[in-house]
Amino acid sequence: MKKLLLTVLIMVVFMGNLLAQVSPATPKAARVQITQGPELELAKEYLTIIRWTTNNPGGLPDHFGIVRYGTDPNNLSQTAKSPIRLNPSHPSTIFRVRIQGLKAATTYYYTVESQEANGTSDGVTSPVNKFTIP
Amino acid sequence: MNRRKLVGLCTVAVTVLLGLLISSQTMLISAQNTQNSGVDREEPPPRPYNPYPPGILPADLNSEIARVRREVRFIFNQALGEMRALPPLTVTGQPPTLQGTGYQAVQTLGKLLNFDENMSPFQNRACAFCHMPYAGFSGPIPSVNLTMIAYPGSFQFRAGKRTAQRYTYSPRYPVLELYPDQNLLFGGNFWDGRSTGYLLQSADAEQAQHPPVDTQEHALPDTACIAFRLESAVYKSFFEKIWGDILDIRFPGNTEDICETPGGAKVFGTDVTPIKLSPEDRAKANSVYDHWGQSISFFEDSPQVSPFTSKVDANINGLYTYTPDELAGAILFAGKGNCNSCHIDGQRTLLKPGQTDTGTYATNARPLFTCFGYSNLGLPLNPRDAFFYQTTPDFFGFTANPLGFGYRDLGLGTFLRSGFGSAPNPNETWTELAPRMDGRQQVSTVRNVAMTPPQCPTTEAPGPYFQKEFFHNGYIKSLKQLVHFYNTRDKFPFPVTSGHCPPGKTEKVDCWPMPEVPNNIDMTVGNLGLTDQEENQLVIIMQALNDGFNPSNPSVSTYPDINTFTGKCMTGGTAATQGNNTLIPTPPLPPCASAVCGVAPLPTKPIP
Repeated sequence: MKKLLLTVLIMVVFMGNLLAQVSPATPKAARVQITQGPELELAKEYLTIIRWTTNNPGGLPDHFGIVRYGTDPNNLSQTAKSPIRLNPSHPSTIFRVRIQGLKAATTYYYTVESQEANGTSDGVTSPVNKFTIP
Repeated sequence: MNRRKLVGLCTVAVTVLLGLLISSQTMLISAQNTQNSGVDREEPPPRPYNPYPPGILPADLNSEIARVRREVRFIFNQALGEMRALPPLTVTGQPPTLQGTGYQAVQTLGKLLNFDENMSPFQNRACAFCHMPYAGFSGPIPSVNLTMIAYPGSFQFRAGKRTAQRYTYSPRYPVLELYPDQNLLFGGNFWDGRSTGYLLQSADAEQAQHPPVDTQEHALPDTACIAFRLESAVYKSFFEKIWGDILDIRFPGNTEDICETPGGAKVFGTDVTPIKLSPEDRAKANSVYDHWGQSISFFEDSPQVSPFTSKVDANINGLYTYTPDELAGAILFAGKGNCNSCHIDGQRTLLKPGQTDTGTYATNARPLFTCFGYSNLGLPLNPRDAFFYQTTPDFFGFTANPLGFGYRDLGLGTFLRSGFGSAPNPNETWTELAPRMDGRQQVSTVRNVAMTPPQCPTTEAPGPYFQKEFFHNGYIKSLKQLVHFYNTRDKFPFPVTSGHCPPGKTEKVDCWPMPEVPNNIDMTVGNLGLTDQEENQLVIIMQALNDGFNPSNPSVSTYPDINTFTGKCMTGGTAATQGNNTLIPTPPLPPCASAVCGVAPLPTKPIP
C-alpha cells in the first residue's frame, strides 16, 4: 500500500513538472569537452560568429557561449556572450557567439568557454585561437 | 367656446400628443439602436485619425473592418442562443456551486463577453475583432496582416504596436515567475509578458483586462465602463446568476459621456478612474472587471478554443499515423531543427527515420509546444508597423507614439523597467534583470500557428491562402519564411534595414536585415543547415498542429466557428517571397529614444 502511495506521489510530482512545460535542469555532464571547433562561422566587420561543439553539458537549460577576445594574445580583454537553449535529448550542443563592430584587416585572438545561465562554468576553455577580419 | 373651435383645439391637442408620442418612440428606438449596434449616435463620430503616409493603411480597410464586425456579431448572436439553451442555473452546496451547469455557463458567458462589441467607446470593437476563430484566434484581416500589422482600435485608426497573439492555450501559461536558479522569467501573457497574473493568479485572465483599457484597442477610459455596459447588456441577468448581484452600481449621470470618450483623451489628464464612484461601488466595478477576465479566460481554456484535437494529438493518442513528410518534420523539429529546445514537444526520444517514439511523456501530458520563456530572435524592425506613424495628436488630443521611429521594441526588457508602451511591473526585484531581457519576446505555442479558414486552407502562397503575420512585429508573412529565417538568419546577414537589401539579393530569401535589438540574440538558431525540403517538412509538421482534426473524417475541420470567415482568399506567388511586394524602405532611423533605451538599468550594450 505504502509503495502504491509512493508511486502515485512520484507520478504526481513528475507529472506536475511535465505539465509545467518549463524545461527542467538535466544532470550535469561529468566532463564537458569541445568536440569540434572553435571556428569562424562568419567573419565580417559588422558581424562575426564563432561556433564550437561540446558534448551536452547538461545543467540548466539556458546557457551562454562566451568568447574572450582582443588583438593581443596575452590580453583578451573583450568579452562577447550569446544565449542558447540546451536540447536535453541531443547528445551534443553547438555554441555560437555573435561579435559586432570588429575592425577590418585586423587579427583577433580568442578563447571560448560556456556557462549556465546562473554563471556556473561548464569547466572547459579552448586554447587561444585567432582569426582575421578581411 | 363653439363646436368648431372645440374641434379645432382637440385636433391640435391630438396632433401635439401624437407628435410627442412619435418623437419619444423615435428617441427610444434611436437609443435602442445606439445600445445595440453602436451605429446610430446622437452626434456624428469624430473624424478618423489618419497620420499615416499613403499605403500604410490597406486600401480595403473599411470594408474589411465592416466584414469582421459582421462576423463578430454573428458569433455573438450564436452565443446568445447557447446561453438561452442552457438549463436553469441552480446554485447549491457550500461553497455555493452551479451544480451541473457551472462549466458551460462560465464558458458561455466568456464567449458572450469576448464577442460583445459594446465593450468599447464607439461600441464597435469586441475582443474578437482582433482574434477570430478561423485564424486560431489571431488577426482576421489578411490585408492588415500584410501591411500595418497592428489592428485598428475603437477610435479609428489608432492602432497598437504588435501582432494579435493567438488565444489558443494562452490560459495554460502560468503566472509570470522567476526561476532563481536560472535567473530567467517564465510564464505571463502578451509578447512582453506584461500580463503577469499576479493578482488573479491567472496570466490569461489578467490578459483579458488589458485591451479594454488599452488606448489603441478598445480604449475604454475606465475599467468601470465594463460594468456600466454590462448593466444594459441583454445577458446582464446571466452574468449576475453566475457572479452575484454586483451590477447594482450607482453610476453618475455623466458615465455614458465618459465611456464613449476613448482613453488617453486630453480631457481625462492622468485620471484613470474618471467615473467617480463611491468606494463600495468602485469595489463592485473592480469585482466585475475581475470576473470579466476570469470568464473570458475560461472560455479560452475550453474545447471551443483550446481542444487538443490536432493531428499531432491524434498521433500521440495512437489514432493517426504521420505521413512520411509529417514524420520527417517531427524528427527535424526535435533534431536538426532544434525547435523543441524552446517549443517543447513532449518527445523523450530523438527519433531517427524508421523509429517511433518510445517515451511516455507525450502520451501522458499534452505538450504545449512552448517553454513559456522569452527569446530575442533578432527580427528586423518592420517599418510598416502602424505604431511608428502615430506621432501627432488625434481628435481627442492623444498621441500614441511621440517617439516615432525612435521607438525600439525591447519586449520583456521594457516591461521590467515599467517602460514606455508597456505596463507597470508589479515586482521591483525583477527590474535588475531588464538588460538581460532586452529584445526578448514570448515564446509562443506552435499550436494553431497555421490555422486558416477552410476555404483558404493554408497560410502559404500560391494558395488559395489566408494571409497571416508571424512573430511580434509581423515581419514574417509565411511559415516557409519563418523556418527559413530560423535556418539562415546568420547565413545571409546584411548591415541594412528592411527594404535596403543590396542589388541582386532578395529580402527574406538571401538577405536578412539587421536585428531591431542586437542584444541577447538567441543563438540556438540562425544557421541550422536545413535543406529546402527540410524547411518544407517543418512547415508540414507545424500545419499538423492545427486543432479540429477528425481522424474519421480528415477533410472537415471540427474546430468551433471556423466556418465564419466571409472574406476572400489570396492566390499566386511563392511562400518564400510572400508579401515582399509590400516591403517599404525603412527611413533613416534616429537613435533609440532615451525614453526607451535610456531607462535604468541600462542595456548591456547601447542599442542603436
